[in-house]
Amino acid sequence: MKRCLISLLLAGSALAQQSDAVLDAMKAEMARSTSLSLGQLDKPYYVAYTVDEAKIWSAVATLGAMMNSDLQTVRIPQVRLRVGDYKFDNSNFSGGGGGGARYDLGSFPLEDDAVAIRRYFWLATDSAYKGALQTIARKRSALRSVTVSDQMPDFSPAPAFSLFKSRAPLTFDRKLWEDRVRKASAVFSAFPTLRVSAVELTVIDGTHRFVNTEGTVLRQPQELGSIQIRASAQAPDGMIVRDFQGFYSAKVSSMGSEADLLSATKFLAEQTVKIAAAPMGENYSGPVLFEGAAAPQLLAGVLGRNLHIARKPVGAGAQAASTELEGRRGVRIMPEFFNVVDDPTAALFGSSETDDEGMPSRKVSLVEKGVLKDFLRTRTPVRGYSDSNGHGMLPGLPTPTNLLVTATEKTPVAELRKKLIDLIQQRGLEYGIVIRKLDFPSSAPLEEARRLITSGGGTDSAQPVPLPLYIYKLFADGREQMIRGVRLRGVNARSLKDILFAGDDNVTFNYMENGAPYALLAGGGSSAEVSIVAPSLLVDDLELTRMDDELPKLPTAPSPLTAGQ
Amino acid sequence: MKILRLATLLATSAAAFGAGETPLLDIMSKELQRNFAALKQKAETPPYFMAYEITELESHGVGATLGVLNATGDSRNRFLDTTIRVGDPALDNYRRVRGDNFRFTSPQPVPIEDVPNAIAQRMWLETDRVYRAAADRLIRIKTNQQVKAVARDQSPDFSQEESYVHIGKPATVTFDTARWSQQVRDWSGDFRKYPDLLASSVQVNAQVDNRYIVNTEGTRVTDGRGYARITISASAKAKDGMDVSDFQAFEALDAAGLPGADVIRAAIKTVGEHVEALLTAPTAEPYAGPAIFSGRASGVFFHEIFGHRIEGHRQKDEAEGQTFTQKVGEKILPDFLSVTFDPTLRKVGNVDLNGWYDYDDEGVKASAVKAVENGVLRSFLMSRSPIDGFAHSNGHGRRQPGLEVVSRQSNLLVTSSKAVSDAQLRQMLIDEIRKQNKPYGLYFEDITGGYTTTGRAGVQAFKVMPVIVRKVYADGRPDELIRGADIVGTPLASFSRIMATSDRTEVFNGYCGAESGNVPVSAVSPAILISEIEIEKKDSGQDLLPLLPSPSKGSAQ
Repeated sequence: MKRCLISLLLAGSALAQQSDAVLDAMKAEMARSTSLSLGQLDKPYYVAYTVDEAKIWSAVATLGAMMNSDLQTVRIPQVRLRVGDYKFDNSNFSGGGGGGARYDLGSFPLEDDAVAIRRYFWLATDSAYKGALQTIARKRSALRSVTVSDQMPDFSPAPAFSLFKSRAPLTFDRKLWEDRVRKASAVFSAFPTLRVSAVELTVIDGTHRFVNTEGTVLRQPQELGSIQIRASAQAPDGMIVRDFQGFYSAKVSSMGSEADLLSATKFLAEQTVKIAAAPMGENYSGPVLFEGAAAPQLLAGVLGRNLHIARKPVGAGAQAASTELEGRRGVRIMPEFFNVVDDPTAALFGSSETDDEGMPSRKVSLVEKGVLKDFLRTRTPVRGYSDSNGHGMLPGLPTPTNLLVTATEKTPVAELRKKLIDLIQQRGLEYGIVIRKLDFPSSAPLEEARRLITSGGGTDSAQPVPLPLYIYKLFADGREQMIRGVRLRGVNARSLKDILFAGDDNVTFNYMENGAPYALLAGGGSSAEVSIVAPSLLVDDLELTRMDDELPKLPTAPSPLTAGQ
Repeated sequence: MKILRLATLLATSAAAFGAGETPLLDIMSKELQRNFAALKQKAETPPYFMAYEITELESHGVGATLGVLNATGDSRNRFLDTTIRVGDPALDNYRRVRGDNFRFTSPQPVPIEDVPNAIAQRMWLETDRVYRAAADRLIRIKTNQQVKAVARDQSPDFSQEESYVHIGKPATVTFDTARWSQQVRDWSGDFRKYPDLLASSVQVNAQVDNRYIVNTEGTRVTDGRGYARITISASAKAKDGMDVSDFQAFEALDAAGLPGADVIRAAIKTVGEHVEALLTAPTAEPYAGPAIFSGRASGVFFHEIFGHRIEGHRQKDEAEGQTFTQKVGEKILPDFLSVTFDPTLRKVGNVDLNGWYDYDDEGVKASAVKAVENGVLRSFLMSRSPIDGFAHSNGHGRRQPGLEVVSRQSNLLVTSSKAVSDAQLRQMLIDEIRKQNKPYGLYFEDITGGYTTTGRAGVQAFKVMPVIVRKVYADGRPDELIRGADIVGTPLASFSRIMATSDRTEVFNGYCGAESGNVPVSAVSPAILISEIEIEKKDSGQDLLPLLPSPSKGSAQ
């Protein structure tokens, strides 16, 4: 990727001082919070404070016009408080928490005033403590009527960890980037048959601060540059088709060039038009070749989201959100020529020093020679494990950082196509299927995603499998034909065993994981940077089914972009 | 339920555009004609009326607590509202059918820059969506007509109005963020003098709303106005867990018109002292007896119990309580009272009113409505949804972007021919306490807001939440502040008990929330004496006070 034009000023580069007024105020109030008590009730044994501070530039443009352009300055505080002890506390309970005391906390101070910051934490902690007491009481009461088979501790102790990093504030050329976004969005004007299109920019210059009563103190600069391009079109039969491309960078200074952005936008526009014009596919059962981004996108769901063990909470009707790989340690889950490592130290988008629990992120060997060896873990003990390996990136969802899937037996990518053709010939199939992109993360509106999930019958996966976007029939003579309107059926972690061949390529796919189905962009909430690196994959015995949703009619009036033509 | 409240948040929003030209209106007109023509020609159920309204919002705000900035925000957005009527004015997709809420429009964001295709494309898709929803509902209504009893009010669904062309100058907003940041820092620091407060803030917000309206009858309206506001609030928790708070707000057209430091600092002092006094004040007991509502309190009282009940659309909705539907020409208030709604009035004395506008959200010119003259009900607040006896709009069709227009209040003005001085009114209260042989009367000094239920399924009642309530004794003892009282009552009974008013009016500026969202309103009224009003205990928390002392105790006073 070409170096971009953002001027990153390293003004006052000697920012080596180890003091931080916000951190000091957090520490002071946290120290006081350990003296909280209420009669004979449980006392806090663990308190953690977080302040995530950020300047967020955002701009959205469509067809050469800005929809909005904002600069926000935010500080988001968080209090985590546990009463009881590591063995038994107020967590891992599904029966609803106590609300705690309600205070009018207002907004967190945006300036470094110790008194104002401490006052906020004072009241937020008081509220959290009272809430924790209510929760632990309810949890105890719930336990009187159920027997818990596994008596695991609620929280694992961790040694103190310190990290104090500073950097000069980013100097971000807002006008330059707004012009660029506007210009990119105007590329879509040459494609009048598209329905809606947009180019979105988000740049974050942030600082993460974390302290806990175990002595961990973190101050980490955070940075994100993101450009998201989306478009939709309506096929002649009414089907709405969408395409989305996100470009994410952990360094704003290495966001792509204008030329890259314009050509990516043009490509996406062309693809969207092509998808809309493609014929509907039919039901298919047979081998599928996942090329390019499609392979890591597939693995993000069926592998990445299954690489942890879910802790079943105490409580009536508590759902064990069990993952498909739970209980399969030591079992072969992929062909023997696969190794999978999660490496937060790799110089990729997902790299990370600590997780959301303030734990140092450690490299984990997850799959060796096809055999499942370990899981992504947090400080919540799960069956068979009591310690974290620093993968609590999202609340309640252990998440990969840089998930590196490598094959020891590689087949040249061109060869994979030949293998696919061989297979279809052996099986007397008219064609094979090549998928080059999945709708992941998905730009679908919430309502549409909900419909997709509920109509996704036939899949026995815990994770809904993303819709394929770039789908091609590959005929025996090497000819390709794009199709649309089919979805993968029955794909889950077990499908990994049906991988026949891996390519000699290594495709890096970056995205923001938010835990939502399809990592829906509209899913909101907090998100974590993830890179998945994987080769192209030829998978046997997959099923594609034709989608038969009700389709919206075409608009009565022609598009204003085509009206004059 | 309708809620009148003082907006305590930094309202998001508002925007001025360019050089007084209106390319946006031209883009809208063109897209309107194009879609209307295509739908008329090709659609199965063609529309007979279409309108677009784009609301352009630009806002700036800062807020601080205890001398420290804790909020800052700027935004600029445009939202499109689309109206499509299919069928005919006698029966269209907007027909009110009992128990069937409908909404066709949505707050569709459109570009803030005038690139015709970019705006037109969003308008086109939104038009298609709204058209389908409109046509679907008309079919359902026509089926419903045949299975339900005939409604009493057989008025048409849409009124005939003249079209208006008014190209107003777009409002612009200027906001010196650095200066106001320093102001709110300085001012909010004054709250440090009140160590028992748990929260306090001072916020300044300035915004402009510019509206662009076109319809297929030829209306072309651009209209804009500014809003600026300083809000001061503080809250604390009494030993018994009750939350107490006070609030003051100052409104003006723009930031430059806001009051100066003296007024603001005095208000902060009042708010701080009120909250500290409330902390130790005795709690209210349920009580019924004579009371005075201050002008501001009375304004809210009239807004809730009267204003919402004369909103025109409620008179034809069979699900509504229709307290006044059949009472036009009858006496509903004491004959010394008159009530007018006047959206054309911008000021009372030197106070800017919040509820003014030149054109409503249906592009109809705003006009004053004499709702009650000498106690007799004369008129309702009308949008373009006619009711029996009122075939036309009087310019009160309002909404917040993204919601359907209904008739709403503007500037409510209560006038009285039985006005006495404040001192005389107080003496009348004391006389009444004695006459009724009550231990005390009540004085409602200030009020945060209130709400009322107008639906038939609910009780026709209202609730008004006063913040500052004092017991007034007949024996010369000083007034006594109490906390935790809410006023409750029913409209017809309460009106009949108004005895007199003061000769001095006060202004309550706020935002009123109802079906069509939050709209800015004002209520202007003299203080009123009521022979009997009921208070009940406020629903309040049982939380303990914070367990640890404040970290600022001893350091920041």
